[in-house]
Amino acid sequence: MFSITCQNYRGLKMETNWILFYVTTICLIINPITADIINKNVERNLDIASQLVKTSYKIQVEETAGKPLKEYEFIVREPNLSFISVKDGFNKKLAFEEKKENEKSQVKYKITFASSAPQQTLLIETVSTKNILPYPSEIKQNDKQLVKYVGGLYLYSNYLTQSQRINIQLSSSNIIAHTQFRPFSVMSNKMTFGPYENIAKLTDDELFVHYENQSPFLTVNTLERTIEVSHWGNIAVKEEIQMTHTGAKLKGSFSRYDFQKDGRSGQSAVKSYKTYLPASATGVYYRDTNGNISTSNMNLMRESVDLDLRPRFPLFGGWKTQYVLGYNVPSYEYLYSSDNDYILKMHLIDHIHDNMCIDEAVITIILPEGSSNIKLETPYGIKRHQNALIHTYLDTVGRPVVSFSQRNLVENHIAEFTLKYNFSKVSLLQEPLLVIAFIYIIFLLTIVFLRLDFSITSHFHKE
Amino acid sequence: MGNQRSMNKERLLIEYTKMSQGINAYKLKRNYVMIRDSAIATKYFLYYYYTSPTVKSTSNRVSRVLKYIWIASAKTFSGLPTLSKLYIYNISFATRLFSVLRFESVIHEFDPYFNYRTTRFLAEQGFYKFHNWFDDRAWYPLGRIIGGTIYPGLMVTSAALYRLMWMLNITIDIRNVCVFLAPFFSSLTTLVTYALTKEIHSIGAGLVASALISIVPGYISRSVAGSYDNEGIAIFCMLFTYYLWIKAVKTGTIFWSAMSALAYFYMVSSWGGYVFLINLIPLHVITLMITGRFSHRIYIAYSTLYCVGTILSMQISFVGFQPIQSSEHMLALGVFGLCQIHAFVDYLRSRMPKDHFDLLFKTLVSSVISMVLIVGTVLTLTGKVSPWTGRFYSLLDPSYAKNHIPIIASVSEHQPTSWSSFYFDLQILVFLFPAGLYFCFSRLTDANIFIILYGVTSIYFAGVMVRLMLVLAPVMCVLSGIAISHLLAKYIKSVDTGGAKPATESKRQHKKMEQQSGGVKSEVAIGFVTIITLMLIVYTFHCTWVTSEAYSSPSIVLSARSHDGGRIIFDDFREAYYWLQMNTPENARIMSWWDYGYQITAMANRTILVDNNTWNNTHISRVGQAMASSEEKAYEIMRELDVDYVLVIFGGLTGYSSDDINKFLWMVRIGGSTDRGAHIKEKDYYAANGEFRVDKEGSPTLLNCLMYKMCYYRFGQMYTEGGKAQGYDRVRAAEIGNKDFELDVLEEAYTTEHWLVRIYKVKDLPNRGV
Repeated sequence: MFSITCQNYRGLKMETNWILFYVTTICLIINPITADIINKNVERNLDIASQLVKTSYKIQVEETAGKPLKEYEFIVREPNLSFISVKDGFNKKLAFEEKKENEKSQVKYKITFASSAPQQTLLIETVSTKNILPYPSEIKQNDKQLVKYVGGLYLYSNYLTQSQRINIQLSSSNIIAHTQFRPFSVMSNKMTFGPYENIAKLTDDELFVHYENQSPFLTVNTLERTIEVSHWGNIAVKEEIQMTHTGAKLKGSFSRYDFQKDGRSGQSAVKSYKTYLPASATGVYYRDTNGNISTSNMNLMRESVDLDLRPRFPLFGGWKTQYVLGYNVPSYEYLYSSDNDYILKMHLIDHIHDNMCIDEAVITIILPEGSSNIKLETPYGIKRHQNALIHTYLDTVGRPVVSFSQRNLVENHIAEFTLKYNFSKVSLLQEPLLVIAFIYIIFLLTIVFLRLDFSITSHFHKE
Repeated sequence: MGNQRSMNKERLLIEYTKMSQGINAYKLKRNYVMIRDSAIATKYFLYYYYTSPTVKSTSNRVSRVLKYIWIASAKTFSGLPTLSKLYIYNISFATRLFSVLRFESVIHEFDPYFNYRTTRFLAEQGFYKFHNWFDDRAWYPLGRIIGGTIYPGLMVTSAALYRLMWMLNITIDIRNVCVFLAPFFSSLTTLVTYALTKEIHSIGAGLVASALISIVPGYISRSVAGSYDNEGIAIFCMLFTYYLWIKAVKTGTIFWSAMSALAYFYMVSSWGGYVFLINLIPLHVITLMITGRFSHRIYIAYSTLYCVGTILSMQISFVGFQPIQSSEHMLALGVFGLCQIHAFVDYLRSRMPKDHFDLLFKTLVSSVISMVLIVGTVLTLTGKVSPWTGRFYSLLDPSYAKNHIPIIASVSEHQPTSWSSFYFDLQILVFLFPAGLYFCFSRLTDANIFIILYGVTSIYFAGVMVRLMLVLAPVMCVLSGIAISHLLAKYIKSVDTGGAKPATESKRQHKKMEQQSGGVKSEVAIGFVTIITLMLIVYTFHCTWVTSEAYSSPSIVLSARSHDGGRIIFDDFREAYYWLQMNTPENARIMSWWDYGYQITAMANRTILVDNNTWNNTHISRVGQAMASSEEKAYEIMRELDVDYVLVIFGGLTGYSSDDINKFLWMVRIGGSTDRGAHIKEKDYYAANGEFRVDKEGSPTLLNCLMYKMCYYRFGQMYTEGGKAQGYDRVRAAEIGNKDFELDVLEEAYTTEHWLVRIYKVKDLPNRGV
């Protein structure tokens, strides 16, 4: 509409109004997608039953003039966005790129459609962390953990939204307070807001829910994952994990008596959690600086190895723990080779507990001695560290170490990286030969030493 | 025939070699010792049974089997002593691994945690930082100069091993070095025992002695994997010094005596028990003088050892000037003087007519004695020579410590040894020891005299203090090794009679043979050898059993059997320490009884008030006073000491008997032993009938003191055992007397799963007007 008016102007007062012409041209250049696009229907499903905010959007977009749609701009105003994926109506992944903005509170994504039709459907999933905050932030041992979620009531969009609705999934039916903006409905642990009609572009209003949430609020502060590859058939994985209970802090004393006797006591405390390891994992260990943590169970399942990890002490709000979890997996499942070219495909991070959130993960891959030409491909952006060398058992020149890190990760980030490198098969023999040579030299030296007389003089007291 | 026999023997030897190699692979199995003995016996029995059809009577067969076991062993021993040494070496390592296999590679007990912590510091920071280390985590607010108050030998040894292995790219954890250091050194001890006994008696005796020491429980008790304590390496150092000393005495060369001085230096750097060594060697020298065996050899050996050894030992900052000041070292100094005089006298005697010499001698002796007495008294009175320390007194007079220093008496390992523990720790060695002594007496040499002295003195000290059983065990093994080897060498010759010789030989010839070979009848010999064999087999069983049952629990992890036979693990200590480490402020100060001090600093990395290095009696006493006072008084003390958390051990729920309530009387005694704690009287804590009770009958002072309240807080609501009332204490077997109370100045911060460890937070002062 705007461009049409401009043309009219141009036709009428082309010579006289140069300034306006330039302004409009600039407008055209800057803003190629114009208000012709509308969100016909927006359905938002908000899952705040755990410590994460998982949102899935179903947006029906329409170009009112009937022109083919090529690009769409999507704005996320949630802080700590961890993960986003975009699909179209046929469940096909769409390419998108982040647009740099000066404003920090929002991130813009430019989505490019695969096919160009005037009507498109977008399925967007986002996961963000640390947006559900305990309120009150300190509770006593027997209190329930209440949390508050604050988010946007409308889809914050560049376009007019004709109709939109939010479905909210909560962890319990105990809702203390929430936004009273009609129409809305509450059904036990589900809430629906909307439909709201014809919301102008770039409009926002606050949505808040104050409710009971006893699900574990565990944050992995640091994860140091080390993958050590051996060409003798084994890959050793070691994860050093430091975690904090980031829910409501424990106020006052901790009473073991209440904790043991009263089932309602300390519900928000984390007594144990499950970690799923690959099905082929063997030699699992779970320990900390003081030694083995004897309170854990392991179940071998068909698909995975389920570890029921119990920290040494139940984790109450604000309590921390730190441990090391390690296991071995056979290399034939993850390591592929042709001649001297090898490809390692493994999970960048692995499951720690359900609905996990990792503040920072550092992944270190130790390759066999003599590997060269290392190329790393990751499923998402990471911060690559400098390659290093590590010296351990039977090493001479040292093993190459690839390491990289990433912040703010969630379960959706469990994906495979690919590491390509060259390794000549002959150097496999280096270590056994080293041992053989060492023993041989010892024997040789002994033989020489025993047969030669090293004494300076013929000794009187010699026996 | 003869040719074939020798061939048979060769085959036997080869087979034996193969077998023992095969068995080595089994070394980690629990009953390797049994496997070994039974395997050898069966193998040789079968072997001989099938290859010699001429053997008919059972007794003959038995005798041949017996003989072949022993001859084969003896052959192997003499032919391949290296192999058998290697084998014993392996065994002595493997038998100490029970706890690692059953639990995990973890440090045991209390003191080892301190050693582990300091070793870690040394390995990370280097020797100079370690030497100047002022530890502000312990003895708050005093702190402790670690470098100057410990024997650094142990830490330096493991840190050196650690560094060496890292240099060779063996990236082992420092904790594993510490855990396996004691087994490694006890393996070395077997080798040294072999060498020592060989010097004293013979190769055979050496092998038997080293086999005996490899599994003797008295030594294993201090050297299982994980018990990372000074004693673990000190026994090695001690025996090594003895070996080199014997060498020096035998050869009279400066080389060997300098070597033994170096070994002595290593010993001094690793254990306070070096005092025993520096008194035993002079005692040996004096005895040699008295028995008229003094010679140039001994003069050289002792003078070198004393001079070099003393100067070296003074380099250890903890020892400092003690070797020339404290009375414990005076014997060594005196004997050194005596040596010079003796040598001088000998020199004079060789140059003078007899009557001149006699006169000179008398004058010299009387003047020297009076001089020594005067100087000694003056030095002691002026305090230059330090007074005899309490621990030393308690060696001489077992009741001394109990009467004078409660803190010494409170340690269980300072108690006198009971007779049963002699048998438990040494088994047949107790009986073989006198026999060994007899054999030493029957063939007196300079070296024999030494081992006799060692045996006699150490048996006295072991009787005084349980802990010194450790010093006794090696000499028991040496002397028993001598006895066994001597007896077997005598009787084994007579074992083989009929079978090997052609049956046609006349009886007279036979008898002649017998007389030549020792004059015992074959049956007697068989019987004797069988008994010895059985004794040794029983010994191995006993040792393995004792090791596995008594000495292989880490004590930091407790395990118990449940009703259905499964194993329950109580990991409460580590749970509590880890909680402290994770969830208290970095600089939090924790008050606990001194037993847990080392563990808290090592595992929780927090500041503590008192620890197992009980150097400051008044400070410990102050903590005892806090524990024994009522809440208000305790709060004052805790404010004064800046305490943030208080930790107590409580076994009432699980039945763990060495908890703080059972130790409580010691806290009362130690608390009351200083001026500031004069108001704390032991009798106030006893019930009316003079018993120590926690139930309703208990004294009100006890029922209201801080320790009682901390242990039993909210315990009154717990059901612990079926059929008993709430708050039934399973250790004291009583229902507690004070159930309903609240804590005013403390709040429960954490209690472990089985209530073994309870941690309380000291509340801040209340706000004004509240």
